[in-house]
Amino acid sequence: MSKRVLHHPEVPADEAATNVWRSIREHEDTIKFRHEAIREFYDEEDTMSDEERDLSRRNFVKLMGASTALAGLGLASCRRPEAYILPYADAPEWVVPGRPLLYATTMPSAGASVPLLVKSYESRPTLLQPNTSHPDNMGTDSHVQASILNLYSPSRSQSFLKDGAKVDKAEFDAFFAGVQKNAGKLGVVFGSDESPTRNRLAKALAKKFRGIKFYSYEALENDAANSTIDKAFNANGVKLVPQLKKADRILSLDSDFIELDAKSSALDYSKKRQGGGDNYDQEVDEKKMNRLYQVESIFSLTGGMADHRLRVAPSEVSKIGVAVAIEANKTLKNDKLAKALAGLKADIKPAGEGEEAEKYAKYLKEWVANCAKDLISKKGKSLVLVGTQQPAELHALGLALNEALGSFGRTLKAYASKGSKLGTISDLKADVDAKKVDSLLILTPSNPLFDAPASVDFAGILKDVEFSIHVGERTDKTAFGSSWHVPATHYLESWGDTVSSNGAYSVIQPLILPLYPNTFSEVDILTALLKGGTLAAPTAQEPSAGYYEVKATFAAEVSGSASAWNELLKTGFNKKSVLKPVSFTGVASQKALAERYATAPSAEALEVILAKDHSIADGRYIDNAWLQEAPDPIVKLTWDNAAIVSPKTAKEIGVYDKIVELEKWNAGRPEIGEASQARAPKAKITVDGVEVEIPVLVGFGQADYTITLPVGYGQGADDERNSADKFDANAPTVGHVGLNTGFNVYPLRKEASEFLLKGAKVEPLKETYKVASTQEHHAMYGRALAREISTHESNHAKGDYQKQLDNVAKQGMDSHIPPNIPLYKSKDKEQKSLLSDEIHQWAMTIDLNTCTGCNACLIACQAENNIPVVGKEQVARGREMHWIRMDRYYASQENEYDDHGHMKDKKTPSWISDNPAMIPQPVACTQCESAPCETVCPVNATVHTEEGLNAMAYNRCIGTRYCANNCPFKARRFNFFDYNKRNPIIKKNLYRGPFGEKQVGSPEHLQRNPNVSVRMRGVMEKCTYCVQAIELAKIKQKQITKKKAEAAGLSVNAIISKEDLRVPTDAVKVACQSACPSDSVSFGNLLNKEDKVNRAKGSKRNYELLKYIGTFSRTTYLARVKNPNPAMPDAKYIGLATINIH
Amino acid sequence: MANLFPRWTNYVPLKLAICAGIAGIGIIAAFTYYATPDTQRVGYMPSQPIPYNHELHVQQLGLDCRYCHSFVEHSGHANVPSANTCWNCHQHVKTDSPKLEPLRRAVDETYENYDGKPIEWVRVHRVPDYAYFNHSAHVNRGVSCESCHGEVHEMEEVYHAKSLTMGFCLECHRNPENNIRPLEEVYNLDYDADTYLAENQEVADLVEAFISNDEVLSEKAGKLSSQQKLGHYLKNHWNVQPKESCATCHR
Repeated sequence: MSKRVLHHPEVPADEAATNVWRSIREHEDTIKFRHEAIREFYDEEDTMSDEERDLSRRNFVKLMGASTALAGLGLASCRRPEAYILPYADAPEWVVPGRPLLYATTMPSAGASVPLLVKSYESRPTLLQPNTSHPDNMGTDSHVQASILNLYSPSRSQSFLKDGAKVDKAEFDAFFAGVQKNAGKLGVVFGSDESPTRNRLAKALAKKFRGIKFYSYEALENDAANSTIDKAFNANGVKLVPQLKKADRILSLDSDFIELDAKSSALDYSKKRQGGGDNYDQEVDEKKMNRLYQVESIFSLTGGMADHRLRVAPSEVSKIGVAVAIEANKTLKNDKLAKALAGLKADIKPAGEGEEAEKYAKYLKEWVANCAKDLISKKGKSLVLVGTQQPAELHALGLALNEALGSFGRTLKAYASKGSKLGTISDLKADVDAKKVDSLLILTPSNPLFDAPASVDFAGILKDVEFSIHVGERTDKTAFGSSWHVPATHYLESWGDTVSSNGAYSVIQPLILPLYPNTFSEVDILTALLKGGTLAAPTAQEPSAGYYEVKATFAAEVSGSASAWNELLKTGFNKKSVLKPVSFTGVASQKALAERYATAPSAEALEVILAKDHSIADGRYIDNAWLQEAPDPIVKLTWDNAAIVSPKTAKEIGVYDKIVELEKWNAGRPEIGEASQARAPKAKITVDGVEVEIPVLVGFGQADYTITLPVGYGQGADDERNSADKFDANAPTVGHVGLNTGFNVYPLRKEASEFLLKGAKVEPLKETYKVASTQEHHAMYGRALAREISTHESNHAKGDYQKQLDNVAKQGMDSHIPPNIPLYKSKDKEQKSLLSDEIHQWAMTIDLNTCTGCNACLIACQAENNIPVVGKEQVARGREMHWIRMDRYYASQENEYDDHGHMKDKKTPSWISDNPAMIPQPVACTQCESAPCETVCPVNATVHTEEGLNAMAYNRCIGTRYCANNCPFKARRFNFFDYNKRNPIIKKNLYRGPFGEKQVGSPEHLQRNPNVSVRMRGVMEKCTYCVQAIELAKIKQKQITKKKAEAAGLSVNAIISKEDLRVPTDAVKVACQSACPSDSVSFGNLLNKEDKVNRAKGSKRNYELLKYIGTFSRTTYLARVKNPNPAMPDAKYIGLATINIH
Repeated sequence: MANLFPRWTNYVPLKLAICAGIAGIGIIAAFTYYATPDTQRVGYMPSQPIPYNHELHVQQLGLDCRYCHSFVEHSGHANVPSANTCWNCHQHVKTDSPKLEPLRRAVDETYENYDGKPIEWVRVHRVPDYAYFNHSAHVNRGVSCESCHGEVHEMEEVYHAKSLTMGFCLECHRNPENNIRPLEEVYNLDYDADTYLAENQEVADLVEAFISNDEVLSEKAGKLSSQQKLGHYLKNHWNVQPKESCATCHR
């Protein structure tokens, strides 16, 4: 048989108008890029590093020879090592060795607390799953998923510190006894999450100690906006909770309400997004679908989901907000909104003169008018959200607009805290200055000495107070800067309580005794302060003080009955709301807002956005290796932060040229973030006299003349870099993980509520910085991979929504698909199907309509499947181990079409072509039925199971890597080093071979899932659909059949059918599926027609990745549906990302 | 020129080759006999902190396997009993026996050397880390303890009775009928298919009827043992289809 050659069909010249790309080089489509994209790894001429060359084959054989000889002499390996079994001395109730227990608890968080079910093996928590029975189930995001690693972090704080030096607990106890007697003018700084027990204890403390004062501080909370909102509701601690399941039209003014700014469940948004088809019993109904208008400067994941995204500078967000409000009030004629708008006028004329500017102004005007009209048309079902970082005035205006639109009580609920009023960090500063506070107890999860704004001068505060006690899980800068540091427990080790988004009382219960003795929770400390007595760590017999306090709060707030308490511990929540609903009273005129957009940004005076980081949030997760290594969902950078600018801005400030220059200088190397030697140019950013030096990357979809600076990095560096705290080995403010990562941009922040800065200057520097970005890794570029359609019929022959639906499976190459034959046979010699199992055939769908690209699946997979981190150096070489690769595509239309769908010479306006759409696409092994990887394995280490899984026998793999070469999806990962055993985080450690530092016995290994092998060096690994979960579900079914057999009297008389052995409908939840906050992943059995996955596969949106090569993937994707407003000026450009790709 | 080597040296290479061949065969034979799991593992009998006697507890006292290995039907692990399980009886029986000193150390709070630490039993049966054997999947489908662990009920001290190699596992996964028995008999280590069928005539009739109705089996019925006949019958009625693909045991 001759070799089959696949001929790629030619692309008709008039169809290539949509440009889809992942990286800047792909966007430019350089020859070099094309050449490299077909390779598994980069650096063709130099695959060995200096370190690797040292460990050449010759040296390796020498070493091995010597060690074999030595081993032979000692005959060490001749005896089987003795192993022990240690059963419990006194077996605890419920624990069945080998079977996980699930406990309900809650992760406290400032936005909205996250109800969780924690999987625990013999009292060792290993995986976090959402508590789906909770009324305010939030799903999980990457921060939640990775928070379990914080528990096992090797750099956790384990001892008391006095002025930065380790002391015994006794010394602290002696000191604390004095405070317990008389707290004097103590200032207590809480975090911004809500806790009924904390509120109760604070009230009791205020009664006991007259001088005590309470504050709340988290680095990225907008205090000014919060107090404006409080005033508007005449209450304190007001929370605005969007009710996304009721919102048909959403206008988001720079609010990333799906991810970083989430105040309620994103699941509700995704349900609404499915237009009644969230259970896949019908297609997405355009009439039931919601519509999202996003006005933003940075590409956020919410922006990626938006139907209409307006790309404007931060100050212009207010301008658009005002214009929409004014336009809306022309119809609504609401007094409260009119009052808020008094003195403001709609002025959306952009900077610049000439025809282009006129056209753009017209475009904006239409955008605003139609957006307002659409919001009004769904009055009572529309919603306006304002981003946390936006100014307080815009928040006030947003409230008034919501009031006018009738959102309150329907799409937006407001609750007030039952606690007493807490001061802000600025209040604290004033009180310290006025000597109203002379000592501090710092309980906030933020790191105020590092991240507090310059105007607060937290270092000065620490100097001014008599003493300060910091309680924290990390020995961060504040821990060393305070006079005392108390090591804190992780939330999985402590008793506490919190409130879910809509106010249900939710308990935080410990899964494990504190890993380290003498660590205490916030409640423990407050109780000790209130009731006296020394701090006592819990034991197996005696719970911590927190237990009794939480129980007392629950009795006071909800119910005193023992059964209610037991139910709380079982389910994790009590439905009774512990928040007060409040109603909107009105806001004053917000005419001050006009000043904020009086001047437009330019290349000489750029606007800076101090943004929450996708990986490390406000800096608190800097020592979390999973988060550091998870590629940023937008720019795909790992282990660092960088300044993000738009391509146009990069050109104007002279950084784009730098990049090109860099490529020449770095001849033979790719330009940005693509190889071990990849570097990014650095620039000096000056705002108001404060300088920051940071590498610059290009971000598509970023507003022009703006710079995004993600905060939180640069907490400790011992290398040459400026703009980071100096690392001191005697006072380590970061662990190995956080060392030398990123640049500190907090110094730019002057005022507590200002995250959007103006008048920044950028000066390119000669220096460059090594960056590790994954955006070009494992590229499958070009083809119609992530597909989307639009509910709108536009002028170029792609037809109406129904026709587009019918054509999803025929997009791209699949429109020319030949009557295909599979690459490999599906039957054996006896004509028996190789996929012979008649009970289970597993399959998965991933719905791109709801997938936001948030990385929760990627990290959940890491937790469930014992996937190691590899460190920045290795990521740069393309050796990251994540089994799920989160691809992110940009797509923009650069040419207009005529009515017949043919491309015209005419270019699209710059505000269309420079504002690309973004589609994320998670890709893991698709479990091809005719898997190309299997036939090339020389040792049969990867083979098919009867149930359709492409299984890996790790112990059999010899590491030829043929399978990875033959995988069209680039879904296989190779263990180049023993990442599990040797610590990859320490610089160059991997290359030291046996002399390198090992991490055996390191606490993070306690997190490992006991049902999955920990893979060694030289082994290929990949997704196997959580085969451990599948096998356990099947075995559970076998356990159940025993009951049936026994019921038959004599088991010999029993008939156990295939149906008896079949796993119940949707019973297997794989890790990525349960983690997904938007329910995008469906997994199940093709032979059980009730399984959701079968309905999903029946959808017209269902398509197979690279179908034309005929590998028959078991994982298929569902196309994204965009729901543009036909009246909008950009409607015809939306939903086209892949319509004309080949 | 005279011959450098005498004539007898002509045969030296041949002799050497034969010797090397014999030595090679010998080494291979010795290796297969001594160094494979069949000999390395079988018979392994480490001494335990408490010389627990299965023969005494099972045969003489009539304890069921599941009294101590209580989770064998519910979990992948067949647990070694926690110390308080032993203490249920031994707080009344032979409490002062010096052999039970480690047990009292673990559970008896009145004992002077009490430390509450678990007893360190030495592991006898051990499959590699990458093989995930699940007890509950087997005992609930008619595979007896005896099939893998041998006649534990007659062991005064537990030893490794079967090889537990991958070949051993696959042998049964390919031909489960050799090992399947009625669920009631799984923990009866004295079970014998002949006796069972003799005592349960109705079952024997059903099995015979099944075998004679089956095309393939009826042809070789004469060669099948009672165990195999009953095994085939149960395999068919219970839908027992053990998998041979890697993911069954390796993850």
